[in-house]
Amino acid sequence: MTRRWLRCTAALALLLAPAACGRSLSSATTSSTQPALSPTAGLVATTPAGTKQVASMTWAVYRDVNSLDPAFAFDYPENTAISLMCESLLRQQPNGSLAPGLATMTTQSPTKLVFTIKQGATFWDGNPVTPADVVYSLQRQQNPALGGFYGQVFTRVKSIAATGADQVTLTLSQPDYWLPGELSSMGGVIIEKAFATKQGKNYGTPAGSIMCTGDYQLKSWTPGVGVTAVVNPGYWNKSVKPMVQQIVLKGVPDATSLTSGMLTGAIGGSYYFGLSSLNQLRDSKNVKVYEGPGWETDAFVVSATSGPLTNVKVRQALSLALNRQSIINQVYSGAALTPRWLANPGTFGYGTSVFNTAYDSSPAMKQDVAAATKLVQQAGAAGQTITIGTSSQISSIAAEAGAYQAAAEAIGLKVKLDSVSADNYINFFTSASARKGVDGFITVNYGDYADPAALLATVALPGGSQNYDSYSNPQITSLLEQARGTADASVRASLVAKAEKLAAQQLPWIPSAQPTNVLMLNSSLTGAVGSFAYMFAPWADNLGGK
Amino acid sequence: MRFLARRLAMLVGSLLVASFVIFGALYLAPGSALAALSGGRALPPSSVAVLNQRYHLNDPFLLQYWYWLDGVVHGNLGISITLRENVSTLIGNRIWTTAGLVLYASLIICVLGIGLGLLAGLRPGWLDTSTLVTTAVTAAIPSFVAAIVLILVFAVKLGWFPALSTGTGGGFAGDLKAFTLPAVALALSSLAIVARVTRAAIREEAEREHVQTAISRGIPMRQVIQRHILRNAAIPITTVSAITVASLIAVSAVVETAFSMNGLGAYLVQAAQSKDLAVVQGISLVLVTAFVLVNLLADLMYAVLDPRVKLGARAS
Repeated sequence: MTRRWLRCTAALALLLAPAACGRSLSSATTSSTQPALSPTAGLVATTPAGTKQVASMTWAVYRDVNSLDPAFAFDYPENTAISLMCESLLRQQPNGSLAPGLATMTTQSPTKLVFTIKQGATFWDGNPVTPADVVYSLQRQQNPALGGFYGQVFTRVKSIAATGADQVTLTLSQPDYWLPGELSSMGGVIIEKAFATKQGKNYGTPAGSIMCTGDYQLKSWTPGVGVTAVVNPGYWNKSVKPMVQQIVLKGVPDATSLTSGMLTGAIGGSYYFGLSSLNQLRDSKNVKVYEGPGWETDAFVVSATSGPLTNVKVRQALSLALNRQSIINQVYSGAALTPRWLANPGTFGYGTSVFNTAYDSSPAMKQDVAAATKLVQQAGAAGQTITIGTSSQISSIAAEAGAYQAAAEAIGLKVKLDSVSADNYINFFTSASARKGVDGFITVNYGDYADPAALLATVALPGGSQNYDSYSNPQITSLLEQARGTADASVRASLVAKAEKLAAQQLPWIPSAQPTNVLMLNSSLTGAVGSFAYMFAPWADNLGGK
Repeated sequence: MRFLARRLAMLVGSLLVASFVIFGALYLAPGSALAALSGGRALPPSSVAVLNQRYHLNDPFLLQYWYWLDGVVHGNLGISITLRENVSTLIGNRIWTTAGLVLYASLIICVLGIGLGLLAGLRPGWLDTSTLVTTAVTAAIPSFVAAIVLILVFAVKLGWFPALSTGTGGGFAGDLKAFTLPAVALALSSLAIVARVTRAAIREEAEREHVQTAISRGIPMRQVIQRHILRNAAIPITTVSAITVASLIAVSAVVETAFSMNGLGAYLVQAAQSKDLAVVQGISLVLVTAFVLVNLLADLMYAVLDPRVKLGARAS
């Protein structure tokens, strides 16, 4: 069931337009000898721009939107809604690179970032975006009393100050080249100060409202019904002309509902993730399914602080024994790549040629049970037990935990499954007591911007937010810290690439698959962003009818 | 009057007990309301601490329940943690969807179910047999299966009805169209049960001695059916109809989810999953009240149907 884009070779994709990578080419050769080809060739970061006006459409997200406040946006529905209507200081391009957004950034010194607000930038109410708005928005994110989710992002920021009529200067305690990425994401969304202070704690809730700058503006939000966004007639960037007059973001938790909605046209489009009926949609004339570069990694979180999995050889053995192709086929209906690193190659947003070359020289993670068995024996771990946290109620998680169970048992380990209800699965991530006795569990995870380091830092740095087993590797730590302070993109990329290569051997987490970003659109529509950048930057600028 | 006062006291008692039990169950269940906000990624510990304090998430159980109860007595159902919005507003947004769905389904059950049961009961023969067979099959179809089949056939293949309610509110006709498939899915198995019970009740009454006597004395069949059969069969029919209608309120969650409707049931499930206590409590209050009211209505109907039933008689 490996299909379409995945089978397209990189070489062919360079010669032909990506759109030519259709089913007809599915028998193309699968290897290429040219070095440093993009591992994401054939994936579509952008879809052809729409040409016709559309009155209204429904866009499905996997559950209801809970907040329109960027400080509380941490999951797909909130991000999709906010990135549709709001803009950040910098903008993530569909290919992952950073471009000016509401402001252009100049680096006066390694610890001094100056943001110059674009001329004519206005909020929906017509008021100009001022340095005071920018300072307010960033300081609001920083403020611990708000309880927002992005406070940590600003740890190296010493001060945020208006330094001119259209200028804001961020002074850093030490150089931080990860900060611009965060400022192109939810952490850098600019809201109107006067409006937000007046709204107080109602800002971004259904009881209140929001004030942003994007080409779509909030018309109404009724929980259960959806978030309705309409075209902002006074959008400050006149070169952008949105074509869909109204977009209703609706929570559709049920996969069957989503499938029938897409098939009948009741739902115009969605970035739905891990949909089991994807092949049914691919086969439908009414729906076009695109795959774009993804930022997400599907991985096995190693949370063991004792036992066999603390031994790197056992982790390597487990990784070697894993049948990744079955996960890619079963869970993703083919919409995923075989991993080489922890990071998804879709995240190569800068230093791309450096990353591509390094990635190309790393081996794809292939199954080799014989070698894996040897490793387990060398480690003296044969017959030992590992406990995998899972939930039989979440089919994708159960299938993957099953794949890991099969892999472990094939190499002489014993496996205990600790199955919890779907609702409680989340506790493995949030509660140390739930993780007690659990050696690992499945996750799909991503950083806030296109940088392989964004995810690795949370996993492998001591004190990282997802470093559940207190993992520490001095080499990886030093490479990542160096990268964070390195201005030159290519040098930074080579440092991160080294860290990723090490992580692929040391396996702080075991990558299972690199999902591509699935975009499904009604066949009468086109133009939505195809890559995972939709989570952080406007995705409907070019959306319209064919 | 005394009857109503007593029922009212019983309602308040049921609400208190139900709210305490539900609150306790959710409190004991592992997980945190905050976890639902993050979608499976780790939240920064500092914001977790701030939010825990804001929503009293670390206070002892009885104190949390007291906060909630105190609010309710003062007409405040509390605030949803995930949406940061008043629970009463959130319920208000959704209550008509569920009410409409349950009413529509009840109508289908009462009209079609009782109608089919009457026909089958009074006219033995092929109609009776085929009713028996079809109701045996439909009674066994759970509503989520019915929903999937109905969507596949009538929405995806035939395109007669929308596959999911898009919540745009297309006037009465539009809403009726949008609600038809969900109502049928919801009604189907209950309809079959009501039909079968009706048929059995009619048969039983028709064989009673006084009915046979009436027939043998030459009283017109029409009068026999109206006065002697229907009147007596009405009690079991009312009982089973009331029970099934009341149960629809709970089952509606399944159908609402399948059709992506913004009803209370689907929201209850979602809120329970994300441990949004105030919302779960608020919706439970509404559902328990509705359940008690439907049963009260059935009791009142007994008194109308059968003068021997005295209102307020002690339950034996």
